[in-house]
Amino acid sequence: MLVAWNYRYRNSPMDHIDPRARFIFSFAVLFSATTTWNPNILFAVFLIAITWYSLGRLTWKDTRLGWFMISIMLFTMIVVNTIITGGGAGGVVPPGGQLVWPDGVLIFGKHLNLGLTVERLWFAVSQLMRILSISLVFIMIPYTMDSRAYGVTFSKLGLPDRLAYTMELSFRFIPTLARNFQVTLDAQRARGFELDAGKGNIIQKIRQVAPLLIPVTMNAIVSSEDIANAMDLRGFGQRKRTWLYQLKFQWWDWAIIAFSILMLATTLLLAYRFDMRLFSVPHWWYGLFN
Amino acid sequence: MTDAVPLPLVVKDLSFQYHTRSTPAIQNIHLTLEPGQIMLLAGSSGCGKTTLMRCINGLIPHSYTGEMTGDVLIHGQSVHGMGLSQISTHIGTLLQDPERQILGTYVLNEVCFGLESQGMSYMEMLPKAYKALERLHILHLKDKETFFTSGGEKQKVALAGVLAMEPDILLLDEPLASLDPASAHEALLAFRELADEGLSVMIVEHRVEDVLAIHPEKVLYMDDGKIIYNGDAAGVMDAVDYSRIKLPAPVIARRAKSHPAPHFQPTVPKIDPQSQPLVSFQNVRFQYKEDTPEVLHGINLDIRAGEVIAILGHNGCGKTTTVKHALGLLKPTSGKVLLEGVDSKKSTVATSAKTIGYVFQSPSQMLFAATVREELAYGPKNLKFSPQQVEDNVNWAIETVHLEEELPTPPLALSFGQQKRVSIASVLSMRSRVLMMDEPTAGQDYWNYQSFMSTILQTPGFDAIVFITHDLDLALIFANRVVVLYGGEIVADGHPQDILQDEEKLNKWRLLPTSLLKLNQQLWPKTGQYLCAEALSQFI
Amino acid sequence: MQDTHTTGKKKNIWAFGTKQVVYAAIGAALYAVVTWAFNIWQIPGAGNVGIRPAVVIPMFFGIAFGPIVGFITGFVGNILADMLSGYGFWLWWDLGNGVMGLIPGLFSALIYIYNEKKSILLGEVSVVLGVALGMALASVSEMWVSGADINTVIFANFLPAFITNVLWGLVLLPILMVAYAAIVQRSGR
Ligand SMILES: Nc1ncnc2c1ncn2[C@@H]1O[C@H](COP(=O)(O)OP(=O)(O)OP(=O)(O)O)[C@@H](O)[C@H]1O
Ligand SMILES: Nc1ncnc2c1ncn2[C@@H]1O[C@H](COP(=O)(O)OP(=O)(O)OP(=O)(O)O)[C@@H](O)[C@H]1O
Ligand SMILES: [Mg+2]
Ligand SMILES: [Mg+2]
Repeated sequence: MLVAWNYRYRNSPMDHIDPRARFIFSFAVLFSATTTWNPNILFAVFLIAITWYSLGRLTWKDTRLGWFMISIMLFTMIVVNTIITGGGAGGVVPPGGQLVWPDGVLIFGKHLNLGLTVERLWFAVSQLMRILSISLVFIMIPYTMDSRAYGVTFSKLGLPDRLAYTMELSFRFIPTLARNFQVTLDAQRARGFELDAGKGNIIQKIRQVAPLLIPVTMNAIVSSEDIANAMDLRGFGQRKRTWLYQLKFQWWDWAIIAFSILMLATTLLLAYRFDMRLFSVPHWWYGLFN
Repeated sequence: MTDAVPLPLVVKDLSFQYHTRSTPAIQNIHLTLEPGQIMLLAGSSGCGKTTLMRCINGLIPHSYTGEMTGDVLIHGQSVHGMGLSQISTHIGTLLQDPERQILGTYVLNEVCFGLESQGMSYMEMLPKAYKALERLHILHLKDKETFFTSGGEKQKVALAGVLAMEPDILLLDEPLASLDPASAHEALLAFRELADEGLSVMIVEHRVEDVLAIHPEKVLYMDDGKIIYNGDAAGVMDAVDYSRIKLPAPVIARRAKSHPAPHFQPTVPKIDPQSQPLVSFQNVRFQYKEDTPEVLHGINLDIRAGEVIAILGHNGCGKTTTVKHALGLLKPTSGKVLLEGVDSKKSTVATSAKTIGYVFQSPSQMLFAATVREELAYGPKNLKFSPQQVEDNVNWAIETVHLEEELPTPPLALSFGQQKRVSIASVLSMRSRVLMMDEPTAGQDYWNYQSFMSTILQTPGFDAIVFITHDLDLALIFANRVVVLYGGEIVADGHPQDILQDEEKLNKWRLLPTSLLKLNQQLWPKTGQYLCAEALSQFI
Repeated sequence: MQDTHTTGKKKNIWAFGTKQVVYAAIGAALYAVVTWAFNIWQIPGAGNVGIRPAVVIPMFFGIAFGPIVGFITGFVGNILADMLSGYGFWLWWDLGNGVMGLIPGLFSALIYIYNEKKSILLGEVSVVLGVALGMALASVSEMWVSGADINTVIFANFLPAFITNVLWGLVLLPILMVAYAAIVQRSGR
């Protein structure tokens, strides 16, 4: 098992955007999308996110696993939220409203009175737009950002050197630890540890992972001493750090940052100053159910 | 010596005691190093070599606390009062395990780490990094991911990272552990080259014989924190106990003359070529992933009762990969592995473990239990032995590695050498028929590994023993069959005598002939077999 | 022949030097790798308890190396785990995971000898508190991120996460603490 990072240079527009601009934009989307339930604003943010995603030129094959996981989560959330639990979602949807099936529905020959309202169904659509907007901008990061760039990006975004380098170093450890994990698993299997051995009560079952977890963790801690020494010996943390990886803002990066600020500011202004924060259902949506 | 130019390194009456210990780790150390000199520092495990290096490179007292007396002078200036960053501009240190000191994900980033810490601009650091890479002839690696470089390449990348900071003193702590003979030799030549350019180099190494090949100007031998010998390379041959460090074979043979050792005989049954093989590889090909190159290209190998097999080969040739197939940890992409006649694809690793006991290279990757006793009982319990049997096996295994008094100790609290023996015992306790060991001696001192290898090989109970090693001498002393892998193929298989005599081939396979091998060949007409250096003394 | 007297010196749990940088980085990477490994292998776990033994890692790194290391291990580790699996970015769950390491980190000030009864008890208390706070933070965030109602938050988000994480933590943390005590004894850290 080798864990390789998914990044690959594609010469896409995203490859030419400064990672700092990218993070600022992504967070602007995150906060804009979670500030309001207004359908128009949500839809606008959603469109912006789709456009952004297309800049990465990712193929379906690259990201399908991630989307698959997100779909499962969305599905359960929407089923639980809109169909099973009654009475409005978290005070967002006001009680009452127009039933989708006023006469009930026939399921397996049984007559059921589902309390699903048109409002709650629209709420599901809003949720979908929110989560997808956020997922679109973040899911692409590991595929489109060079692992060497994380440290310098966070440093230039104002994080202290030590924290920024912690990020960078984590990336370096991942493949090594994945390999160590594999070795430990192999070593224990050679001593009769089986992947699907399962008897005893819950606590005994949980304890079965100890022969994997302990060597991997303790080994990592013991190597930390050498690694810290190697860093000290090369002067880590004695002075303000520079980075080999070069970041340079282009005019379009400034444009992206300006746009991000504008987008967030507009959302906040509309939401709080013009009271466009609350949930509402567009008229055409009612039209679909008459 | 004039007073005008102070020496790069002077250590004066240095002693140090870790604050958690009650005895000093090093005592009254005196040494000097001139520009262009190589100093070899030898001594058994725990004698204080690493501690001495830490005192010189500033980790003591900056990262480790304790009681330090005496002084270290770098270009005449005392290290007391120097910061780590100031020391690091003069002294470069290569730690034992390159894996644990490579900090960058890509080679060029790794090489620039120190320069980045110094706050250098891009334009300043790039030429320095290129120069360091060029100096070691590895510029072509600059855009490679460090994770995917080979063992030997990692070592050089780590060294380039140190050289980029342009130190004039180099400290190397066991730089050769786990390198194949040819890579080790190349690394040593690189050190010599650096010294010839004017650097002062200090090498800590258990592979004394290998280092002597590059003619160190000075040799220091330490024992129990004190210097026993400090002089030139010729003098050390007679000054130190030849069972403690690995001296060239002719020297051992000469010195052992007065009390020659009997030749070692492993305790395994007689080989019966007609018997069913215990393990049989039939045209095994293997590839880790679909998009990575094939690693094994058609391995054919039978292991029979009575065989002691040494597997040799360069770094990355597929030794570990092959051995993992025997146990079914990896399954062949094509071809078959039969274990006592059963296809490995049809059995689980746990059942194979009854036949094959496999000791992994690093003990810390398997030890987890709260006591040594529990650790040893883990395997047999998994194999569903009866409680009485488990108890008997544990007792037998612990006696074999001579660690009876450590049964209640947590294995993680033991020293590295002891951990290694516990890991071997935890496999012995499963009482499997074949014992396989992956580089059982890497990073151990000479005396320790000699003693535990002969103990294991003389332990009754195994039908066959297989070990992977980079030490040709182990193969020729202990094995009755040698298998050489090269680039994923078996290129030689047979008696040590038949395989190891062709020097040209050995060079091609990246296994260099050792002094013991040469001496054996020279004395062949008299001995008719390969012997250890102590035993050879009767014939010269 | 060693006398470890680690008891004497006062701990500074807020230090963040080179060692802590490395512990935090390795902790985060470890959390990501172990989470991911157990995901893809479905290694035997406790049947219906979610397969996330890795949650003990931020807790343990907190206990062993303090609140900052604990927090980063959980926070960055969870981000990396999601990145490895391609799950996107869930800021509040990342923060919640950070808190699961932060709270035990605060308790680390009181812990010197890792295999003592008292230390282990403190560790266990910190697990319950840390998971409760961390998972509450993450679950409640669902109210404004995805607009879930309070029932959904409690029954679909908080309780399952709380119960599984506390179980894994309570059982595995003492085991790691005892193992770590042996390492401390060996190196005299
Ligand atoms: N960090 C530490 N804290 C306490 N004691 C230590 C520490 N490091 C080493 N020691 C002790 O100091 C002594 C000398 O150890 P050192 O590591 O210098 O030996 P070495 O000659 O490098 O051995 P090896 O060949 O095994 O690497 C040993 O008894 C060791 O246990
Ligand atoms: N898990 C893995 N995934 C992909 N490739 C691997 C994996 N493990 C090893 N390899 C590759 O397979 C080849 C053989 O590796 P192997 O570990 O068998 O070599 P080795 O002969 O044991 O070397 P060494 O002497 O350095 O231990 C190497 O090129 C290595 O990079
Ligand atoms: Mg050492
Ligand atoms: Mg190997």
